[in-house]
Amino acid sequence: MTEAQETAAGSGSHPRHGLDEVIHAPVRFSIVAALAAADKAEFAFVRDTVEVSDSVLSRQAATLEKAGYVAVTKGYVGKRPRTWLSLTPHGREVFAAHCRALRAIAGGPG
Amino acid sequence: MGEFAAGDAAAALTRAEELGITVRKSTRWYVWYQLVFGVAAGLMVLAIGLVKAPWGTAFGGTFWAAVIAGLSLYAARQRVARRGFGRWHAVLVASWGVLYGVVLSLGLIFFPGVAAWWVAGAVAVALPGLIGGFLEARR
Repeated sequence: MTEAQETAAGSGSHPRHGLDEVIHAPVRFSIVAALAAADKAEFAFVRDTVEVSDSVLSRQAATLEKAGYVAVTKGYVGKRPRTWLSLTPHGREVFAAHCRALRAIAGGPG
Repeated sequence: MGEFAAGDAAAALTRAEELGITVRKSTRWYVWYQLVFGVAAGLMVLAIGLVKAPWGTAFGGTFWAAVIAGLSLYAARQRVARRGFGRWHAVLVASWGVLYGVVLSLGLIFFPGVAAWWVAGAVAVALPGLIGGFLEARR
């Protein structure tokens, strides 16, 4: 597909054009869906909830952070280091739009 | 992005809903946090108002400090915070602060040792935590 064709496809009217490419990947979608229900969640909690390994979550969280969808905060509880993940306001907007597109696709002829 | 059928979209939405439910279940610790906060706030007011000075203030203050320290530790150990936690918690503490200030200042000036005032005041001061816990449990 040429760049022009991609641009045309990206601005089409089919609901699939509302899907976000970063969130669309299954693991990243699960991470964002889990974070959407919380203010913030500990790295290990997200790992257990989404059922992925530390390294996979770390890699996918970095991708989401780079896209500006997830904020990663490091801190301590007592002497234990903790990493917290949270959705940014932009991430919430994008996830909401992505879910709207999914609902449109699910409700459409397919 | 490839073809994405209606069934795939529905499955993704179902997965998102399931994850949301799992996460929300894990935020239910805040129900207990608020209930303990409310009950402890009421007990502190009762101690300050009805136990002879300076023991009432000393006991009430020490008890409250211990409860808040315990609740803070409990909250810090939790792995997930509910959506809107900061705003909700600010409303809880602000409501408690206003009620506590009114009950204590009026009680110490106009109703020292009057059980009816302090019991009613204790209930009022406990309400933000109790109502918050109730609403949280119903989410």
